[in-house]
Amino acid sequence: MEVAELGAEVAVAMVAAVAAPRSKPRVLAAMSGGVDSSVAAALLVREGYDVVGVTMKLFKDGGDLPDRPCCSLDSVNDARRVCEALGIPHYVLNLQDAFGRDVIADFVAEYAAGRTPIPCVRCNTFTKFRDLLEKADQIDAPFIATGHYARVADGRLLRGVDDNKDQTYFLWGIERAILSRMILPVGAMSKPETRAIARELGLLTAEKPESHEICFVPDGDYVKVLERELPADAPSLTPGPILTLDGTVVGTHDGFARYTVGQRRRLPGGASEPMFVVALRPADRAVIIGPREHLLGRGLIADSVNWLQDGPPAAGEQVLVRIRHRATPVAGTVLRADATQFEVALDEAVYAITPGQSVVLYDAEQRVIGGGVIATSKRVLPVAM
Amino acid sequence: MAPFYGPRFGNPSSTHRWGREARAALDEARERVARCFNAAPDEICFTSGGTEGDNLAILGGWRVLKEQGKKAVVTSPVEHKAVLQAVHQTAKEGAEERTIDMKPDGQVDLVDARLKITAGDTAIVTTMWINNETGVIQPIAELAALAKAAGALFHTDAVQAFGKVVVDAKQIPFDFAAVSGHKLGAPKGIGAFYIRRGTPLEPLFFGGTQDRGRRPGTENVAAAVGLARAMELALDEREAHWTQLAAMRDRLEARLMERIPDAVVHGRGAPRGPHILSISVPGTDSESLLMALDLKGVAASSGSACQSGSVLPSHVLAAMGVRDELASAAIRMSFGSLSTEADVDRVAELFPALIAKARGLAGVV
Repeated sequence: MEVAELGAEVAVAMVAAVAAPRSKPRVLAAMSGGVDSSVAAALLVREGYDVVGVTMKLFKDGGDLPDRPCCSLDSVNDARRVCEALGIPHYVLNLQDAFGRDVIADFVAEYAAGRTPIPCVRCNTFTKFRDLLEKADQIDAPFIATGHYARVADGRLLRGVDDNKDQTYFLWGIERAILSRMILPVGAMSKPETRAIARELGLLTAEKPESHEICFVPDGDYVKVLERELPADAPSLTPGPILTLDGTVVGTHDGFARYTVGQRRRLPGGASEPMFVVALRPADRAVIIGPREHLLGRGLIADSVNWLQDGPPAAGEQVLVRIRHRATPVAGTVLRADATQFEVALDEAVYAITPGQSVVLYDAEQRVIGGGVIATSKRVLPVAM
Repeated sequence: MAPFYGPRFGNPSSTHRWGREARAALDEARERVARCFNAAPDEICFTSGGTEGDNLAILGGWRVLKEQGKKAVVTSPVEHKAVLQAVHQTAKEGAEERTIDMKPDGQVDLVDARLKITAGDTAIVTTMWINNETGVIQPIAELAALAKAAGALFHTDAVQAFGKVVVDAKQIPFDFAAVSGHKLGAPKGIGAFYIRRGTPLEPLFFGGTQDRGRRPGTENVAAAVGLARAMELALDEREAHWTQLAAMRDRLEARLMERIPDAVVHGRGAPRGPHILSISVPGTDSESLLMALDLKGVAASSGSACQSGSVLPSHVLAAMGVRDELASAAIRMSFGSLSTEADVDRVAELFPALIAKARGLAGVV
């Protein structure tokens, strides 16, 4: 369908919504140009909030990457067209410097240190729910809204009702005091419901495909970012040994940052069973490989901790532990927890507890207790580090 | 303009009577625009606006002079992107790009200009008359004289200048001058381009013989008629308009400086056009202020906006040596014929309040 045609339809569909009195407080809606944030903004307009749409420009080469989930010119245009249809103002905010410092630089440093980071966590913690909140303050907006699949109730963060979409795994790091200022309209819906609303409202983003990529990583190839940001002779990108668990050199690699725990691709063949990366050891630039069972872990230590309840849980407390986005949380026990670190034991062994990834703790009521960055995996079978 | 969208819709290149009617209107518009430049009709070309005029002058002039063995294109770092990018394009085509140093007050440094505009090898010198971000008026007469003395072509981007200062082709020996319609109340998408008689120019477009082949393509008759009228009005009202805008600008500037003593007005020490006030307040950022101003119904701008609409750091302020934290706080307030004293008073109250709020949030007292 022609965009112009679509626009006209959107305008007609939204007349009722626009005409609704703006009786409720001002909300700064972060709009990526995707369907979730479009629907989030539309629902708030319909409820009578004074919605101000913003699109964050987070990295410099956005314009050159046409199919990015956000930051590309197309995404900004989509967000602006949705705001036009909703009859709300739209602004583009340049947060490139802050995002580069807080998210991309950390992403690079983590890989260089042999860990596997999740930039989305830091983007939420620092860029969206801190820097963007400052922008909200400047325009007297008491609330900030996003298209995240998560819920906020009684000062607590809860999993989104759509288990398949729940994004709390990426939201554990936000400052607890900010929860009361967050509105997450699609967290109470399933993804199909969100799309249905988008279609019903005639939003031009209704059919936009799902994105699971890291926004600033071109073609899903994070190594390109590392190669751009790190010096050519960075240890993490220079050759080192591939070792088996007993220390035998079975090959060389072209930089340990190109490898991730659990990876099977690009490893030397010849073993009697499938081999996986079980650890990265930056000290001697080693990539350590072993059979699958060596990936199993029964516990972990996390640091960079954040609690989304009153203080850390008590030792002995039963919790649900998620070490990967969309993984079903497994039961575990808190061994110790304070303001900076926690350790949990898992009731069952899980594969590839990976340093640098996040761990999120939930209670039985789907509430997020808190989370942290995995520092150490407690393995079932030992791996010499 | 209206008849040319309706009963007088003819194509000025057609020989039939409707064509002749349109042709007559276009000829008349050209004569009127020429009078506004104190020039002859054959020295006027209609373009799509300032960007096209700048590109036509710089690329069109360069491509001819390159063949004659000239090598340098000289400009200033505070030019509009239409000029800067066109100059970059000449560099891709082999030109040596030279940038004249700026003084902190926002004017070009004429001492440096003398060094950069070298006789014999300089193809073209291009500097704006009035800066679009700061309002600073450049010493165009001196720059034009330097260019002519060096045997170079001289182009001026007069988009901000026309209607503010006298843009007279007999007073200042510019070879090219670009004017944009929408800055004068004419429609967007029309511009006037002055080409001194006999000046070599290679066209950007190829096709018909319209505008003597310098700008092929069916002319936008209605907009050209509108532009001629807008330019005449701008000239008629120039002095009164200047007085009125300067009074409003000075009033706002004085009131803002009184309320925010550490605010910095860019280009304050240089001669300025009356229609722009560029102001930075330490400890604030222009992006948030612009958003807050817009939500209060006040339209202002900062440096230049990129295609996505996000605020970019100002290359103009950077070239003037304004430090980053001040440059990133710059707000550009523009005054026009529709601005009123009441608007000024409202902004004079609102802006300091927003500043106080922004500084409170940033922890600055």
